[in-house]
Amino acid sequence: MKKFLFVVIFFSFTIAANAQLNLNVKAALNNLLRYGSGSEIVLGNSNPKEYFENVTDARLSVNDIVFGMRYEIDQPIEYGVNFKGIKKRYVEYNNNNVGIDFRAGDFWQIVGRGLSLNTFEDRGQFYDTGIDGVKFAYKKTFGDKKPVKVKGMFLGGRVLFNDYLVPTRVETYDIRSGNFEISPIKNLNFGGNYVYSQGSVPNAFDTTAVKSYIPEGYGTLTIGNFQMFASYAHKQSNTTPNNSYPTPLTAKGDGFYSSISYSMPKIGFTLDYKNYRFDLTAPDYRGNDRPTRMLPFQNPPTAVKEHASTLLSRYPHVVDFNDEVGGQFDVVYAPSDKVTFNLNLASASRHYNYKNIGTGALIVYNRIERSSSYMPSFSDEFSPWYETYVEGEWYASEKLYAKVSYDYQNSVIYDNLNPAASEKQKISTIPSELRYTFIKNYTLKVNFENQFVYNSSKTTKKDFLNELISLSVSKSPDLSATVSYEWTTSDEEPTGKKAWLLGEVSYKLNTTNSVTVSYGTERGGIRCTNGICRYVRPFEGLRLTINSKF
Amino acid sequence: MKKTLFLLLFVFAFVTLSKAQMYYEFTLPDIDGNDVSLNKVVEKSNVVMLSFWATWCTPCKEEMKKMADLYEKYKDQGFEYVALNNDNQKSVSKVKSFITAQGYTFTVLMDNDKKVFEGYSGKDEMPYSVLISKKKEIISVHTGFKTGDELMIENEIKTALGIK
Repeated sequence: MKKFLFVVIFFSFTIAANAQLNLNVKAALNNLLRYGSGSEIVLGNSNPKEYFENVTDARLSVNDIVFGMRYEIDQPIEYGVNFKGIKKRYVEYNNNNVGIDFRAGDFWQIVGRGLSLNTFEDRGQFYDTGIDGVKFAYKKTFGDKKPVKVKGMFLGGRVLFNDYLVPTRVETYDIRSGNFEISPIKNLNFGGNYVYSQGSVPNAFDTTAVKSYIPEGYGTLTIGNFQMFASYAHKQSNTTPNNSYPTPLTAKGDGFYSSISYSMPKIGFTLDYKNYRFDLTAPDYRGNDRPTRMLPFQNPPTAVKEHASTLLSRYPHVVDFNDEVGGQFDVVYAPSDKVTFNLNLASASRHYNYKNIGTGALIVYNRIERSSSYMPSFSDEFSPWYETYVEGEWYASEKLYAKVSYDYQNSVIYDNLNPAASEKQKISTIPSELRYTFIKNYTLKVNFENQFVYNSSKTTKKDFLNELISLSVSKSPDLSATVSYEWTTSDEEPTGKKAWLLGEVSYKLNTTNSVTVSYGTERGGIRCTNGICRYVRPFEGLRLTINSKF
Repeated sequence: MKKTLFLLLFVFAFVTLSKAQMYYEFTLPDIDGNDVSLNKVVEKSNVVMLSFWATWCTPCKEEMKKMADLYEKYKDQGFEYVALNNDNQKSVSKVKSFITAQGYTFTVLMDNDKKVFEGYSGKDEMPYSVLISKKKEIISVHTGFKTGDELMIENEIKTALGIK
């Protein structure tokens, strides 16, 4: 019925808009088609795999009012749950002159840096924490000479969160959020946000009702070349008793994030600090379906570098927002308009060590207090991770470009019961890229990545090598062809393979329509985007993507 | 049945109304916190290029470098280049230091909830750029950037500025 009403309203406006010529009516349509046919490896077995996904996004604007919808056919979907129908729909009124922003239907929202509220969609990861509800925001500036800016927002709605590891497990959250921001002087801005949520969190046996209260305060200060941001959020979750949790749980946690940057011509520094303790728990209670953990609609900054290299992205640091302290220091140095250097140092660890004080088969963890828990530790008991990354980029001429990087990561996944079985990993990676325009509009690109891995948990060969070479020829603006070859000396690849070969051709019919076809074998591995990581299964076969805009 | 009817009507509406993307007015803060309205930028310029980018996107940075040169070349003739940053909460803290260190002088706005990106039909791919005329009409849309694309974009800018 709701869908039908939406359709009626949609077309009433369309007809009314056409009837009155003074209305400004515009429309836009995007279509993304993805098809794949081949096989994928699951638990060492090769299984046939086929997917067909077609996502159509349409928007119609009548003056300041925008109607939008997404029609989706995922039969079968590549990852997640099959779907056919209208997946998103909304109506939006946006008037910058009066400062009103209203939206009813589906939307995503971030407040501050996302400690209390940050919803987003990443189709590639089958991750969507979009809100289905209503949002109203108002902003106003008082005064001309020394303007004071204020902004307020209220939203309410429902978030359906499909667990990206078990797509059929769906968590439901009814959320309400109120936000207020004020900028009393030009360089200062601070605000507060309050989120209340009623959630239903299923596990293998039953569903737990959980109420959460998340207040947040944040502020930004800019003084000359300095820019500072700080944010603090507190979370309290109360569960209703059920068979899984017969005693009501009350969990309190918090998170703090701050960044300081200093920039001037040629050089810029950024220092990020994170201290996330939204749900500090013992090692035997860190399941992904526990109701007291950080909620899916929260998404604070990870404070680690995002890599573009293929091999580096295979070994991401998975941030535990419930128990992690650390930060990163990033320097950009551009001594000339042809050369840029980047240095990034990052580290993180858990806050505390836990010791088993149980006897026999009974495991009882006792937290060992640490006065310096506001800083990351490099001791194994804290599952430390650290990374050093340096990069040099050189635009040698109009025709030649080169980039070379070096990355070193060291991590421990500590086993509290058997420390000798802790997983220790050291990875050195050297990605490089060379680009040369040999004829006008024709460019040759070579990527070579070399990676040395030591992993203590491997049973046969603990040291192994991964290498990737990728050769790409492009003709601007419409054509590019790439061949990638990757190989490893590891004996414990889930696929049993040692080498992977993939060819890809992409053709732009015009600036808004493109076709991409790839065929071959893909290694798979962990893929991380927006702080969400999942395992992508190795794939062998054909993939087709058609992207259109009208 | 309702869905089929709806789809047919929808397709019909778009065939008759679609004008290859639409102008979407917005006000966003720049890297120093000053509010910038697109309407005001368009009024002061002859042609505006909006370019959506992120610090982790290698082709975005290449496009930005090339566009910085074109901006310097044509800004006196009314060309305005506006880079809209789509970094999420993870890397947004590095934007100002990256832009300042590179010595870029064009306008950089923060679209970190990607609302404007959505308003200009941006999907998952970046860089994504839109060329807008003084009449607030969309001249062209570009997804991705390959070495050499700057020549095509320069031709479009010259045509829009009336330069032969």
